[in-house]
Amino acid sequence: MSDQQQTLSIPSLLLLAAFTAITIRYFFFTNSSTTTPRTNSRTANPAHVEQIATMFPQIGRREIIWDLQRNGGSVAATTERILSRGGLDAPPPSFQPPIPTPTTTGTVGTSPSQPKPEHIDLITRYNLSSKLSSPPSTPLEGIGNQGAAQAQTWSNNKNERQALLQRRREEMILNARRKLEEKERQRLGQGA
Amino acid sequence: MASSTASRRLFLEYKNLTSNPPDGITAGPVSEDDIFLWEALIQGPDGTPFEGGIFPAELKFPKDYPLNPPTMRFLGEVWHPNVYANGLVCISILHAPGDDPHHYEKASERWSPIQSVEKILISVMSMLAEPNDESPANIEAAKMWRERRGEFERKVREGVRRSLGVS
Repeated sequence: MSDQQQTLSIPSLLLLAAFTAITIRYFFFTNSSTTTPRTNSRTANPAHVEQIATMFPQIGRREIIWDLQRNGGSVAATTERILSRGGLDAPPPSFQPPIPTPTTTGTVGTSPSQPKPEHIDLITRYNLSSKLSSPPSTPLEGIGNQGAAQAQTWSNNKNERQALLQRRREEMILNARRKLEEKERQRLGQGA
Repeated sequence: MASSTASRRLFLEYKNLTSNPPDGITAGPVSEDDIFLWEALIQGPDGTPFEGGIFPAELKFPKDYPLNPPTMRFLGEVWHPNVYANGLVCISILHAPGDDPHHYEKASERWSPIQSVEKILISVMSMLAEPNDESPANIEAAKMWRERRGEFERKVREGVRRSLGVS
């Protein structure tokens, strides 16, 4: 009976030991060597730091980084804490993270313009310019008649499936382009 | 484990959507190596300024799909009250029951595992025809749609022509 208890407690003791070791290691690392690349996964994302610093210029970046690291990098949680408590906890003096250079005009200038991508047209996007001039596979009946067009769409072969999907995409775009061109011709014809 | 459930479900939806595609919709994974990223083409609904246009969009599925909905982003230019400038689509079916950023949506309209990619794409298609004025994602577009409908329609039609390379 007591033997069984003994064997049972050994794994749990080991587990406890491992847990303690990890905990100690964790504190050790965050306190002394935050600058080492090993802690990269735990260092706050500079973009997030910048984002919060822009919203709350009165809060220091060191405080922001400290808070982000403790809450697992959640911008929302840090923002919430600043709003509800008016500030953040002061990090321990030993906490000296690499502070990102505060708002160099270069980074700020480029980031807002980035999310405005130039829209490329579908013909370029799907690389269809070579197929534009070629006549439609089945001139009019193929487009209107769905029964005929529904020949084969699914295949059990992965590559074949991919090719079929690709062809359906291309046909959809090319058909739309042809219809638009047709409409254009009619419009110009009426105007003349 | 959870992600294999998600991939199985997505594969099944892909198969159904391909074998029996709704009018004006083509959708499937960009590559089957990543079943969580899809690309869809939606045809602009007839009788609207979007008519004749083809609108590509990207769908990103979470690993716990279908518990949570995908996000959907138009890849080209879409001038519409419910589409953000970066193309992100904002409609109720794409919002999980828990998060209701605008506090106006009925739970039944929101995402639940009984919805599907097909239902999302059909909802987005009807959203193109009938913008939801209550929760504009693109305030400028919403204002133009409300106050200067003619200008709105002209702008959309121009976008359609540009996107098909006819200028």
